[in-house]
Amino acid sequence: MTADKKQEAERSSRIDETFEPYELHGKMPWPLIAFAVGLGLWGVATLFETREDVVGAQAERVARSHTETGVATEPGAPLFLARCSTCHQPDGLGVRGAIPPLAGSAFVAHGPELVATILLRGIDGPIRVGDHVFNGHMPSFSSVLADVEIGELATYVARRFGTSSDSLNAPDVAMLRDRVAGSGSFKGGAEIASSTDLDLGHQPAFVPATAVSLTPEVSALVFTGRGEQWACASCHGDLGQGKENTPRLAGLSADYIVKQLGDFAAGRRLNESMRLIVASLSDEEKRQLGDYYAALRVPSNARPDLGGSLARGEALALHGDWSRNVPACFSCHGPSGFGVAPEFPPIAAQHAAYTASQLAAWAGGRRNNSPLDLMGRISRELSDADRRAVADYLASLPPVPAGDDTQIAEIGEHP
Amino acid sequence: MTEPAESLAAKPADPQRGRIARWWIHAAGAGIIAAALGALAYESGIIPGRQTSQQVAGPATAGFFQPPADDQIPDDEFGAAIRRGQAIFMNTSTNASQYVGNGLSCSNCHLGAGRQPFSAPMWAAWGQYPRYRSKNNQINTMEDRVQGCFTFSMNAQHSVAGGPPPHGDDIYRDLQSYFYWLASGAPNNELMSGAGFGRVARTELGYSPERGAQVFAANCAVCHGAEGQGQMDINDRYVFPPLWGPNSYNWGAGMARIDTAAAFIKHNMPLSQPGRLTDQEAWDVAAYINSFERPKDARQQGRTIEETRRLYHDGDEIYYGQVVNGVLLGVGTPDPVRPVGAVD
Amino acid sequence: MNRYLPLSIIALGILAFATLLLVIAPGIQIGRHDAPPGLEPYTEQQLRGRQVYVSLGCVYCHSQQPRSPDQAPDGARGWGRPAIAADYTYDAPHQLGTMRTGPDLLNVGARLPSRDWHLAHLYQPRAIFDWSIMPAYPFLFEVKGAPDPGDVVVSMPSGFGPEAGVIVAKQDALDLTAYLLSLDRTYPAPADAIRDDGYRRPEGTP
Repeated sequence: MTADKKQEAERSSRIDETFEPYELHGKMPWPLIAFAVGLGLWGVATLFETREDVVGAQAERVARSHTETGVATEPGAPLFLARCSTCHQPDGLGVRGAIPPLAGSAFVAHGPELVATILLRGIDGPIRVGDHVFNGHMPSFSSVLADVEIGELATYVARRFGTSSDSLNAPDVAMLRDRVAGSGSFKGGAEIASSTDLDLGHQPAFVPATAVSLTPEVSALVFTGRGEQWACASCHGDLGQGKENTPRLAGLSADYIVKQLGDFAAGRRLNESMRLIVASLSDEEKRQLGDYYAALRVPSNARPDLGGSLARGEALALHGDWSRNVPACFSCHGPSGFGVAPEFPPIAAQHAAYTASQLAAWAGGRRNNSPLDLMGRISRELSDADRRAVADYLASLPPVPAGDDTQIAEIGEHP
Repeated sequence: MTEPAESLAAKPADPQRGRIARWWIHAAGAGIIAAALGALAYESGIIPGRQTSQQVAGPATAGFFQPPADDQIPDDEFGAAIRRGQAIFMNTSTNASQYVGNGLSCSNCHLGAGRQPFSAPMWAAWGQYPRYRSKNNQINTMEDRVQGCFTFSMNAQHSVAGGPPPHGDDIYRDLQSYFYWLASGAPNNELMSGAGFGRVARTELGYSPERGAQVFAANCAVCHGAEGQGQMDINDRYVFPPLWGPNSYNWGAGMARIDTAAAFIKHNMPLSQPGRLTDQEAWDVAAYINSFERPKDARQQGRTIEETRRLYHDGDEIYYGQVVNGVLLGVGTPDPVRPVGAVD
Repeated sequence: MNRYLPLSIIALGILAFATLLLVIAPGIQIGRHDAPPGLEPYTEQQLRGRQVYVSLGCVYCHSQQPRSPDQAPDGARGWGRPAIAADYTYDAPHQLGTMRTGPDLLNVGARLPSRDWHLAHLYQPRAIFDWSIMPAYPFLFEVKGAPDPGDVVVSMPSGFGPEAGVIVAKQDALDLTAYLLSLDRTYPAPADAIRDDGYRRPEGTP
């Protein structure tokens, strides 16, 4: 006990040992405070700036979605320039021997309702306008234009190139849309004349093309798969419409499809899934698959969804960027992206994700099958934003030739 | 601060030492604040230099005259004429339908809507007229020159009208409005860089259609077709122009001369890859393309081919009036059953 | 250690402030948005598949959040448009993930819509991509002499299947595949959707 007491006394006599450290109320150096305040200011300013960007981007999107869905009431003129003029020309005179003129056309003279019906259904057969007979392949805009837009466009066309002063509103177009749903494209001027009982002059007769018949083996390839392979349709859809970066095959030329299948096998196009698929295809099967998909007529289910600038995309598609030796897409793929067989596939209505990923693949060397490396060189000149812009623009175009869009609705239900 | 280091080490309690440390802390703090404020100012765009994304003309058109862009066309009567002229330029067979006897448009040779350097850009041509041309031994106005284009390059002899637009036609008025506008700010009467098709140096080997056939198959056939007849889309609209045969330019056109065609090809073809072909390949393939029959020279009238050759093609690099592959060239493709573009 | 009280108050205050800004405010913001019209709730089977996805730890290698083009070239990779908050309406908890050892999966159902492809790929990823580093999941399948009625037979490229018999997918594999195929956020993002627009300048401004 005494020893303990002694120790205790000793300890208390040594102040240092019981010392509990604490911090004096020292002044914070002013640079530290200033630094904190500076950082805080910076943070607040950045927050505000970002907020501005967010609000600006949102307003831009809302405005764009209004034009796309037709909430904003725009006259048909910009629509005409954007949607019709690559074929019918800004002055509506068409192209000699290829694209019928709108000015003075008997079809346009019958007013906006017939114009809207043609816009909704499209044409896929010979048509006589004035004294000339044209091939008559016009896409259906049903899957890419809203009722309001069709109404405005038809009103504008009928007023500018015809004599009609009638106007067509969205509800009228909705009724028209219901009426023509599922009837497919007009089989040339003859069907327009017979189905509307209007006086359209003498129209050339429609000669149906021979239907492509699938052998049971190839049909199995497409729909159920075979042995080691899964079915084409399991990715590309029952109608070859594709989705996202699975390309739309419907309407591609048979030669082009056959060449791509060969390129997958040879490694000029790198895609592991397709390489496996083509490994066991015979040349005859490739040819039959090409013929089958080339003959399919499906409305577009592509949408511009990469956030690219549609204006820039349109400029690239129509005029190119000569300062970088990038020619217009349409200068090779045809004036509306309908393709030029066999080397230049249709690019209209192709899925934006697919187009952008292929441009990236060319630039990055995963795709090397373009003749003369045309696409490789062009893709390397395009920035990422340019690739998205042009892919989005092409996805907003109607497919060619026309189709009917009940099929696509059914596909939407399909798992 | 000026004291030697050893004295600091020797006297650790030196008050000077703490002051230096504080000085450093203050300096670092002030520096960081300055950097933060500077970054803030830079981010918010107060400091210029942030605008780095402005378009810099790339290699293809850099260093050449820059014509105005389409969105700069004025919104008045003059602008309307410019637009009509541009429409004729781009889509000649429709907007000047009765004077075009083949499948070509102005824009097939004058690329980029008449803007592309070394593709006979119109901004460079505008200030060069009126001028003397040995082709017809007289002073040519721009209207005369364009009339020549219709006569030869558009093969107007097979058109509905049977000849080029008559002098004074609105077609010339509109086209010249377009050219004049493209040349806004361009010097007058001065040979501009990028004018015409340029030149290709002669090669030691000369030119040969046989070698050109291989160049053609490897580089041109994918677009212009193995037979050189161009390609159409599903509506029978030419996407790639025909290079020879009845739907191409006739023997009187500048492009029928091998040196002219070689220069055009060297500087512009394949589209998007100018300069891909060597000089030798450009000469050879130009010779190949121009070694096929095409519509007859519009000036031949009642003359024989030999007379026409002596009169109009003497000294030219052209196969007109020569026998190539056992065929006398210059006879012309057969006249069409009815004029091109006439009612069916 | 003294002044416990002020320290505790400050600590709690910071915590409350962070909770307000990081949890409550975003919760209110997100709560204002409904499910996008194109987004379907998961079915029973897809939810079972989601459990398989969680239990196999897919999230450790696969994200489910395509980024905006300013941040990553996900669009060019084909992974789909930038995700919006409402894309995850039916995901509780979400499977955002942080690692991208494998590709982003938020739109895998749109990108690779074939059930048979997924089954083959799950059984042996290297049958399709010889460079793939994804683990194989053979335990989701069984090998049978002959398929029973209703069995889903997996077609494997030659050299990767069993020497005898057929590969049949177990229920877990079918559920997981159903879940993967349901991952499809390709419907258009509503214009007012919450998404990351940071540092994106409206077009035309420098």
